[in-house]
Amino acid sequence: MPVPFEALIPLGLITGFFGVSGFFFQKLKTSINEGQPPRFGLDRWDRVMLDRDYRLTGTQRGQAHETAAPSAFSTNSAWNLEKEHL
Amino acid sequence: MSTFREASHITTGKFVDPTPAPAEAAHPEVGATSAPLKSAAFFIGSYCKDYNEDFMLCKDENNDPAHCLKEGRKVTRCAMDLITKLRENCEKEWEAHYKCLEKHNQEYYACRKPERTFNECVFSKLKLEKVIPGASNTPIHLRENTIYN
Repeated sequence: MPVPFEALIPLGLITGFFGVSGFFFQKLKTSINEGQPPRFGLDRWDRVMLDRDYRLTGTQRGQAHETAAPSAFSTNSAWNLEKEHL
Repeated sequence: MSTFREASHITTGKFVDPTPAPAEAAHPEVGATSAPLKSAAFFIGSYCKDYNEDFMLCKDENNDPAHCLKEGRKVTRCAMDLITKLRENCEKEWEAHYKCLEKHNQEYYACRKPERTFNECVFSKLKLEKVIPGASNTPIHLRENTIYN
């Protein structure tokens, strides 16, 4: 009995859809994280450090190994903008 | 134990800080972000051991932030000193290691090879060694055959 090639068409379609959406999802995640895989399993320490990195470099995943922080670092904390809670 | 939350209830629109400017200029802060600090963590620990222990003991007495400002400035200065030394001597190896860490969720296990070159460079130039306190057999960073290598 010959191979039922018609059955392979939906298989190929489904594989293609999975592949295309996975490809675009990977590209989206990489572009958000500036070419790196996303961070996962973050605890409070990591979130605070990520916020500090953003204050130091201006981008979400940028890294810098300077000795001294830029002068804007001393005043660019978001806590200064926090509303008063009475 | 103090809790922390991100600053979320932020004022919108134009904002003028009502507190007066401090009398002296702000003290210099460490300019390294999380990945370089994690990469150099053990070296900062051994190079700045005295100042770090001083600070922790001071915090143990009184957890008020205003109480330990002087010790904190000493810790900052020591870390900045080591970062300057690392930039002078081993900058390329340091960069390679922390860029590798950034690609792997800042996990040490995934970046043993750049770590080895970095540790060798630091040991030869700055005489600092990475020691894991309380390691029973061969420390993990010195083992030859690991799963992830």
